[in-house]
Amino acid sequence: MTEGYFYTILALLGFSALGVFHKLADTLKCRPAPVNALLYGWSLVFVMLTLYFKADTWSAPGIVPGLAIPFGISASIAILAFQAGIRHGDIATSWLAINLSSGIPTIASILVYHEPVGMKRAIALCLIPISMALLWKDKRDAEARRA
Amino acid sequence: MRRHGVLEARTDRNTAVWMRLMLVAFVANGVGPFGLKVLTMQGLGAYQSQYLMYWYLGGLIFALAALRLNKTGVNGREILLGAAMGGCSLAGQSFTAMALAKGLPGHIAFPLTTGGSLFLVALAGIALFKERIGPFGLCGVILGVASLVMLSIS
Repeated sequence: MTEGYFYTILALLGFSALGVFHKLADTLKCRPAPVNALLYGWSLVFVMLTLYFKADTWSAPGIVPGLAIPFGISASIAILAFQAGIRHGDIATSWLAINLSSGIPTIASILVYHEPVGMKRAIALCLIPISMALLWKDKRDAEARRA
Repeated sequence: MRRHGVLEARTDRNTAVWMRLMLVAFVANGVGPFGLKVLTMQGLGAYQSQYLMYWYLGGLIFALAALRLNKTGVNGREILLGAAMGGCSLAGQSFTAMALAKGLPGHIAFPLTTGGSLFLVALAGIALFKERIGPFGLCGVILGVASLVMLSIS
């Protein structure tokens, strides 16, 4: 279990560093399209190396790439929009905005697979648009102050 | 006078553009991981690594098309940051999987990684990039973190 916590802390640092690097890329005037391409290019190289060293097979039933490629394209659109959007906002609030999208697969699971909603999930899903609205209001106020 | 951060923040900001792009990122990023759920429901959970490889390949195909449309090349700084970001993305996902494999329950691992990373990134934004969050933004962050933690444990 202690080892589990150790890996969780490493995962936490990995995800946090990713957020900081997104902002750093913008601050250092890196352009969104090259950053997105290189993020996916390097990630693909790292996954292929992991598969190679784990001596795992690269082949999979046709449905696997058939599913993965369109969903990967969707995620790539997200990163491109996020990297372009950071130029107009703070990382503190932008990172939250993109992470709040966890609600979408939850809603899709409820609609497609008829998963039970439950009180906790219902409250959590209601909080997402409220949180987004508050972030938008904060940004609008900040823009008004700057004008 | 605006106080500049350790790393100077850019000033060409537009809330309407930010909101539009964040909404696109919100929807597209939310749809992205749902494929893994479909994969598992199809009884193909054993192919998660191969799925991830094709998932990144799909992302790369779109990214290269966008790069070609933009008619831009890449520079050394972008190559280094891209590598760092790709490594961090994979490390985050791999270490979460390893934590779960070592028996740490998901209701502990997911809120810690999601809520914790939101907190650390917000902290970095304030401390390193000298960002300011107003009272509405602060309430939004608190409600957002609460929502994600609740989603992780539900």
